[in-house]
Amino acid sequence: MISLTINGQSIQAEPGVSVLQAARQNGIQIPTLCDHPNLTPYGGCRLCVVEVKGLRVPMASCTLPVSQGMVVETETPGLRQSRQVILSLLFSERNHFCPFCQVSGTAVTSDCELQQAAYHQDMTHWPMQPQWNNYAVDTTHPYFILDNNRCILCRRCVRACAEMSGNFTLGVEERGAASVVVADANLPLGQSSCISCGSCVQVCPTGALIERSSAYQGSQSQLTVTQSVCAGCSVGCGINVMTRDGHLVRIEGDWNAPVNHGVLCKQGRFKPAHEQRQRLTTPMIKVDGELRPVSWDEALDAAAARLKGVECAALISPRLPVETLYAFKRLFKDGLHSHNVVSLGGEDAGAEYAAHASLPLEGRLDMLSHADCVLAVGTDLTNTHEVAGFMVKRNLQRGVKLIVIAPQESDFANLAHYVLRPGAGSVADVLDALSCAARGEGSAGGEGFAEGEEAAETLTALLRSTGLEADLVQAAAQALAQAAAPVIVYESDLYASPDVAASLVRLAEQVGALDAGRKGLLSLKGSANSLAAAQLGLDGSLVTNGSKAVYLALGDDELPEYLVRRLQAAPCLVVQAAYASSLTASADVVLPSAIWAEQSGAYLNLEGRLQQANAALPVPAGVSENTAVLQSLAQRLQVALDGDWRAELAVRPSLVTLTLN
Amino acid sequence: MPFYRSHVLISVDPECIARGAHEVLDALNDELMVQGLFDEVQVLETSRLGDPYRFGPDLIVYPEGVHYACICADDVPFLVREHFLKGRVVEKFRALETVTADEELGAPKAKEVRIVLRNCGKIDPHNIEEYIAEDGYQALGRVLTEMNPDMVIAEVLRSGLRGRGGAGFPAAKKWQLCRSNPGDIKYVICNADEGDPGAFMNRRVLESDPHAVVEGMIIAAYAIGSAQGYVYCRAEYPIAVQNLNLAIQQAREMGFLGQNIFGTDFSFDLEVRMGAGAFVCGEETALMSSIEGRRGEPRPRPPFPAQAGLWGKPSNINNVETYANVPQIILNGADWFASMGTERSKGTKTFAIAGDVVHTGLIEVPMGITLREIIFEVGGGIKDGKKFKAIQTGGPMGGCLTEAHLDLPIDYESLAQAGSMMGSGGMIVMDEDTCMVDIARFFMEFTQEESCGKCTPCRVGTRRILDILEKICAGKGTLADIDRLELLCAEVAKNSLCGLGQGAPNPVISTLKHFRAEYEAHVLEKRCPAKVCRPLIRYEIQAPVCTGCTVCSRNCPVNAISGERRHAHQIDPKTCIRCGICVQVCNFNAIDVLS
Amino acid sequence: MPKPTISSDWMAGCAGCHMSLLDMDERLLEIAGLADFRATPITDLKEPDKTGVDVGILEGGINNSSNEEVAHRMRSRCTVLVALGDCAVFGGVPALRNFCGADEALRRAYIEAESNDGEGKIPSDPELATMSTVRALHEVVPVDVFVPGCPPDPDVIAYVLTELAQGRMPEVKDERLHWN
Repeated sequence: MISLTINGQSIQAEPGVSVLQAARQNGIQIPTLCDHPNLTPYGGCRLCVVEVKGLRVPMASCTLPVSQGMVVETETPGLRQSRQVILSLLFSERNHFCPFCQVSGTAVTSDCELQQAAYHQDMTHWPMQPQWNNYAVDTTHPYFILDNNRCILCRRCVRACAEMSGNFTLGVEERGAASVVVADANLPLGQSSCISCGSCVQVCPTGALIERSSAYQGSQSQLTVTQSVCAGCSVGCGINVMTRDGHLVRIEGDWNAPVNHGVLCKQGRFKPAHEQRQRLTTPMIKVDGELRPVSWDEALDAAAARLKGVECAALISPRLPVETLYAFKRLFKDGLHSHNVVSLGGEDAGAEYAAHASLPLEGRLDMLSHADCVLAVGTDLTNTHEVAGFMVKRNLQRGVKLIVIAPQESDFANLAHYVLRPGAGSVADVLDALSCAARGEGSAGGEGFAEGEEAAETLTALLRSTGLEADLVQAAAQALAQAAAPVIVYESDLYASPDVAASLVRLAEQVGALDAGRKGLLSLKGSANSLAAAQLGLDGSLVTNGSKAVYLALGDDELPEYLVRRLQAAPCLVVQAAYASSLTASADVVLPSAIWAEQSGAYLNLEGRLQQANAALPVPAGVSENTAVLQSLAQRLQVALDGDWRAELAVRPSLVTLTLN
Repeated sequence: MPFYRSHVLISVDPECIARGAHEVLDALNDELMVQGLFDEVQVLETSRLGDPYRFGPDLIVYPEGVHYACICADDVPFLVREHFLKGRVVEKFRALETVTADEELGAPKAKEVRIVLRNCGKIDPHNIEEYIAEDGYQALGRVLTEMNPDMVIAEVLRSGLRGRGGAGFPAAKKWQLCRSNPGDIKYVICNADEGDPGAFMNRRVLESDPHAVVEGMIIAAYAIGSAQGYVYCRAEYPIAVQNLNLAIQQAREMGFLGQNIFGTDFSFDLEVRMGAGAFVCGEETALMSSIEGRRGEPRPRPPFPAQAGLWGKPSNINNVETYANVPQIILNGADWFASMGTERSKGTKTFAIAGDVVHTGLIEVPMGITLREIIFEVGGGIKDGKKFKAIQTGGPMGGCLTEAHLDLPIDYESLAQAGSMMGSGGMIVMDEDTCMVDIARFFMEFTQEESCGKCTPCRVGTRRILDILEKICAGKGTLADIDRLELLCAEVAKNSLCGLGQGAPNPVISTLKHFRAEYEAHVLEKRCPAKVCRPLIRYEIQAPVCTGCTVCSRNCPVNAISGERRHAHQIDPKTCIRCGICVQVCNFNAIDVLS
Repeated sequence: MPKPTISSDWMAGCAGCHMSLLDMDERLLEIAGLADFRATPITDLKEPDKTGVDVGILEGGINNSSNEEVAHRMRSRCTVLVALGDCAVFGGVPALRNFCGADEALRRAYIEAESNDGEGKIPSDPELATMSTVRALHEVVPVDVFVPGCPPDPDVIAYVLTELAQGRMPEVKDERLHWN
């Protein structure tokens, strides 16, 4: 520990910590603007300057490491004057007219850190009047607006774009007073490489970057914030859902969430506020070919009647919480003994493989953040599970080697150091080729594989069958073999073929991904609760042949087109959904249900972490919460829905260690 | 804008034309067209290149700088094919003597001691053997075979060599710090960015004697334990870059760079990296960011480069001149070097004298020489018989020194105490016709343009300071503006992240200190005492002297002068743009500039 | 002892600050007990007393030569000058026209505005005041008290006037300081 003195107070701090951090840890406030606890310190705004005994000039405390015996003052008259001058300079630089800016407010309601800093310094006027060249406001992006006239050039957005999503779209063009934040080589945001993760908007201290859907809808102090989990995919990012008077205003990443630490993708952050689909607001029954609004009792009675005593197939969306999945399973599988009770995407063979493999096989998501080599097999992490992709992208500049096996072009493949595009042959061949080449590099041995000359022969054969170049495969294999912390990430359908799965495990062992207790494998598992669905036995694909009735518990999900067409031919369709669609139009009974933001429940993410989603919005009148619908139905069908879903989740063997507490 | 890979300057001096320059020109254009090179090679007509009687018709090809003499039209096709297509200089057409007179570095004047500049203009920088003939690489040989790194550091420390880039930190101390930091990979960097307006000492050394720098860097690398070095040279010095690259290549061929130098187990290699037009990249941490491929912005210190520099590794960064001194120190000994200069500033310093002196150009003098000696003895005094007013040292981050400081012995401490600094060695001499407010405005305009924009005080503060200076020069300033100027200068100097912002207010602070009356004249009387600031001056024709010859009114670009032939003329102050043409053309000195 | 006197005027503003002043409701009467309101745009007297007032209040920025005259007149006839509202303090909304230029602003307002009937004409009577850049009050005359806000809260105005009426300089900070 390092001892130093701040404002006469003796303080202990860990080595490597900045003076700003040490001060804050001890309750001493130093004003800042460009600093952000989740971004690397920048030292540009100079508002946090402190006086250090023995040093000629004031130093920015955010970038000054603590040192033994340091004597620091943070509140001298000189520093107070400097802060006033720095703020005056900032106000004179661009358009900081407060009256009508969306983040403007009082000391209590202001969401503008620049304004707050000015209030804190008791600034009642601007000693220097502003003088700036007007920048055109960039309104080309669908989700947010960039107004460079409000910018204080703190570069938080640039740092966030680099350090949170690793996209490196934002930068600064020109220098000095002509500096301006731009996207790519000064492209309009809407045409740039921006992937709409929204990290920049979340960190912007002023009104330079504002979200369209929430602008002028109230300051943070007027919003209700509910901590929850995103239901967009199996990553399970922690989110803060901000609402006002029962309406969704904005979604932000939860800085404290252990999975994502504040970063989100467009699916979780922006899409919910831009929902175009129509809500179903009343239960309906099809009478004479037309859907008629009815009461809940009538609709539930009709549904129960359709399902009683017949062979029915049932499908549930894995966007729904575990409680709903469990009720569904208890009702249809255990209660009604239906033979085809599945979840969407349940063809995924992870569960089947898990039954036979030596487990656990897979590790945690943060392995991606600490990996020095990542192999992505057939998955494009710029298109799906984007936050997992961010964990890799943001480290590419720090030396992480990325290898992608991809049959087609993708943005993710474009970032890779080695792209293996097999012309023919199976994925297993490619994985085996890598194992062979890695073997030749003298790495740890693996079982069931040829040695020495035989290995070379096999490699030649594999190269021929896949059409890959020897140099490329050797280089990629070498990168994997030499890595201290390699990680292999892939879609779960890799487990569908035992050959592929075996090749995968062999490769993992060969390159040391499974050494010393490491579990350097990560399958993506699809949707928010796909793992939970698999654990509850809801795997398999929907078969409607022979079913007299089909029950769909969709919540706010949508079915793929081919499935919708098939289901429209079903003899009887009961749909529990939130949004109207061509599917609900074809249903015989429609039960309007809640969306993700309107219900609380548990979510099991791809690394086996159980998280709690909390309802942030009220369930609209006429609509029912999803588990409640199944409970009412079960009641009418005389099925008991008791049981412990937590215990049930742990019954089946799982590919990844589950943390269910 | 079209991009030409080559430029040909052909003299169309009348004597050359008489010898057939036009025919050569036509033949040149024709042949370039035939060879399909018309869009790649630009042909420019120019005036006399060399003595036309000896060389005409002649032409110079750039960027090589080859001077071809006595060319006739029939020679042209061969010349074009050889030089532009095959890339071979045609020796038989080459002029036998160098063309340009060395205007910036003549023979050493009295009081000069040439160490860093000793070879400049005397040896061919394209030929390593000429450098070797002047004891080149002897120092390296001695270091590698007779000295260990600690001995090298001790010798350089004893010599008292201080960083010549401006900060004046003892060079050997910096090497020691870098050496003592843990790590196998260390870098040696040469700051050849030389951005100060009016400074060209480093350029001359790099162009004319690059091996001095290379050898110095190798010795430093040995002392520090580095295997890789970079010279960061500004892009505006293409010949320096070219000569450096050639020197490095030749040094490699001779085994002075690369693996196992002189058969020892010391290996070191060097690369040139070019800047891209940013003064701020002369700041050491911004320079390193630039080499790393990032935006040229300075980083906070600590950590210092010796601890974590280029790519996070311990790095030593010194100026061109610092390295260029090292071989001589090793060869002649620390005592020899320390015998020159003052108590705390040893050795010599190169200076680039510019401005209102008779002899502008480069000089190298021992530390401790006075400003008076430099300006009036070495510099030949103020030209056109004007009076000395001030001298700016240290570039845009330095301050002005006045008559009162003329007997100041030049060294790091004395200049700093007087409110200026040594800087890299640029000196701008100003006579009585200089407006000090305008000078402050000029330097602030420069630093404002070059600010990187990372920190608020420099980015916005220099802009606000410049606004006030422009306001004052336009005659709209108030006393409150001067107060605000002082406040802003103090705050910008205190709170800026790097030396650019910390030093930018210096010209303003020092001119305010020594020439406050001029500022107050601009503000209170709306008068520019030096008669420079256009909005505050007016041109007036003295009626008794004016003969009405109409020369001025005919030359006035805005028709501001009226009057009839043989009658005194008048200038309309509202239309007059103060271009000064009338003063230049008047043969009777009838026009006064008043303020 | 005669009561202290207060006078106000407005320039390039929307009158919202004076409306906020009126929003003090009954506190206006309390203040009237402490000080005399003299000329204001909402009372009968035409200009601040030539003999001078103790407190002068100005709303709005300076947009033309007429505003400038008002500013100078108030400054010369009062002891303590208060800049009331964002427009007086830093130029406010009207000052945004500095960044597109007076010509474009006039064209937009008088010719291109949707509410015009196509017969728009930019007024140019010689008796009209000459437009200048929009400036904050303190760029033209020295100001003693700044009360930002758009408009300043009635509570804040009540506090400021109460303090001034009792001979004290108000401190506009903490919950009384807001720019919105």
